Amino acid sequence: MIDEGRALFVQIAESVEDSIVDGSLPEDTRAPSTNELAAFYRINPATAAKGVNMLVEKGVLVKRRGIGMFVAAGARESLRAERRAAFAARFIQPLLAEAHTLGLSADELAAMVRDQAAAHPTSTPEGGAR
Amino acid sequence: MNRVLTVTRMQFVNKYTFVWLPLIILVVSLVLSIAIFALIPYGGAKYGGGSQAPIWYFFGLGIMSLSYTFPFSQALSITRREFFFGTMLAALVTAVLLGAVFAAGGAIERATGGWGVNGYFFSLDWVWTAGPVGAGVFFAVVGMVLFVAGFWGATLYRRFGPLGLTLTLSGVGVLLIVALWLVGRMDAWATVWTWLADLGPMGLTAVLAALTVVLGAASFLTLRRATP
Amino acid sequence: MTVVQVTDLVKRYKNAAALDGVSLTLQENVIYGLLGRNGAGKTTLMSILTAQNFATSGEVSVFGENPYENSRVLGRICFVRESQRYPDDARPVHAFRMAAMFFPHWNQDLADELIDAFQLPMKTRIKKLSRGQLSAVGVIIGLASRAELTFFDEPYLGLDAVARQIFYDRLLADYAEHPRTIVLSSHLIDEVADLIERVIVIDRGRIILDEETDAVRGRASTIIGDAVAVDAFTAGREVLHRESLGRVASATLLGELDTQDRAQLAASGLEVGAVSLQQLIVRLTQHDAESSVAASAAATTPAEGARR
Repeated sequence: MIDEGRALFVQIAESVEDSIVDGSLPEDTRAPSTNELAAFYRINPATAAKGVNMLVEKGVLVKRRGIGMFVAAGARESLRAERRAAFAARFIQPLLAEAHTLGLSADELAAMVRDQAAAHPTSTPEGGAR
Repeated sequence: MNRVLTVTRMQFVNKYTFVWLPLIILVVSLVLSIAIFALIPYGGAKYGGGSQAPIWYFFGLGIMSLSYTFPFSQALSITRREFFFGTMLAALVTAVLLGAVFAAGGAIERATGGWGVNGYFFSLDWVWTAGPVGAGVFFAVVGMVLFVAGFWGATLYRRFGPLGLTLTLSGVGVLLIVALWLVGRMDAWATVWTWLADLGPMGLTAVLAALTVVLGAASFLTLRRATP
Repeated sequence: MTVVQVTDLVKRYKNAAALDGVSLTLQENVIYGLLGRNGAGKTTLMSILTAQNFATSGEVSVFGENPYENSRVLGRICFVRESQRYPDDARPVHAFRMAAMFFPHWNQDLADELIDAFQLPMKTRIKKLSRGQLSAVGVIIGLASRAELTFFDEPYLGLDAVARQIFYDRLLADYAEHPRTIVLSSHLIDEVADLIERVIVIDRGRIILDEETDAVRGRASTIIGDAVAVDAFTAGREVLHRESLGRVASATLLGELDTQDRAQLAASGLEVGAVSLQQLIVRLTQHDAESSVAASAAATTPAEGARR
């Protein structure tokens, strides 16, 4: 699960962001504490703390004194926007590179995407389970 | 000072080494000696060497208390100084107990006519010229000398290895030989014998006590740079 | 707050230098990994820091003072080494009772929990314990001591994978509740990689790495693909290791790859793989060995050249 090549605290932060984006960690609810994250992933609490601090600085989490870390209002939308922007670089470019190796044109690729979407419908994100 | 006493307590946590084993050796030697005394058809006073066993044990105890407890004491972050004094104190406690046992045992022997079989384990007449307390002190000091000798030997081995130990023992041996040669050279044997005879048990005790201090100091200096 | 300060530490035995000019600083409440090959100098370093061994030269300061025969400082330290000797005929129950006497923060509840977790037989003589059980005794003393500065010198040799995981889990849990400075020496690097905040790598008596673990992750990558393309890409970069099988080559590169690099790699049809902390350290150590061999070879050739 943990990727060898990237900083651990970044991966912890991303993992928390994942659960915010997919809705399993709703806005305004309490986020896992540093110790909880450390215990769950079996990592050094200082590393988990770095990840959490990164999210606080980013504005994804807010600290409520005496209570703990909470998911900020509007975090889900802003993360989604951020990920949409990165979507092209993260998913589409590798897809195009692989298609190119296999000799597929962009049109053929587009047709395949549409076919796959039709054959395997996933429920829409708005109000959906995932 | 507190930590020194804690080291002493530590040595008694596992009572086997400092309490039970010497006690077992003492009891077994005593029982065997009495049995043998009873079997020997000799009318006069009988003396066995059995009482040496618990005394020589102190030599082994000195070796063991360094070899096995020192490395662990380092893991517990005890300083060498604390370990040294705490262990010496533990040995002293055991030695005093030994002395007390020998004094009491000797008194019983003399009262019962050698356990009814005219056999003497605890009381050596020469030592008892100083009385029961003197005898007790004598045996306690003998125990201590042996303990410190064993302790020093084990420390030398730990710090300098077998070569170092052998060299030191050889060095001591050489010194002794030189001393003996000097005595002969100065034709002083008669003086030496008279002096020894005049010492008596208390004098000998004092000499042994001084020797204990000397060996102890040597052990401490050797220990200061020993590694676990 | 600095807990340990080491400056130019040298430890020489007859011919070899076990430590050859080591300098480092340890901060409060951080878990350090002290990594390196067998014989690299890890145990020697820790022994000197705990005044169990003595330096040939250099300075050591622990809690601001010289640790030698210093009970004020030593009382705050715990060092259980890999093959720790225990008192003759002692049983674990005795060892723990003794430890409780000397460590001011000793916690018996934690010790009892761990004894249970490791299934340690308390009444069996220590000399009759299995290798794993022996290690468990050391680990329990190290953890339950809650000493402000705790050294674990490969104490889990002999512990099976399940027991090791118990150790890591309890270590992290207790550290989270009771922060302290911990130095974990190991050659099972990937197992401890996630536990340690900083990595110190020691090789042949010298420190070759001393950084935050996260900074080191991603420090190297493996490029795999057509040998010509690989060599073209790696030209001018620091290559730690290179292997080839027929026309395919694999090279381990030191240095972060930016988006431009990645685009170039994708275009050349080369694959990029991550390098685990263990692999990185292994390669760095090998690289260090190879370059010192090369350096000594280079040192001899000028003399030969001069002779001509």
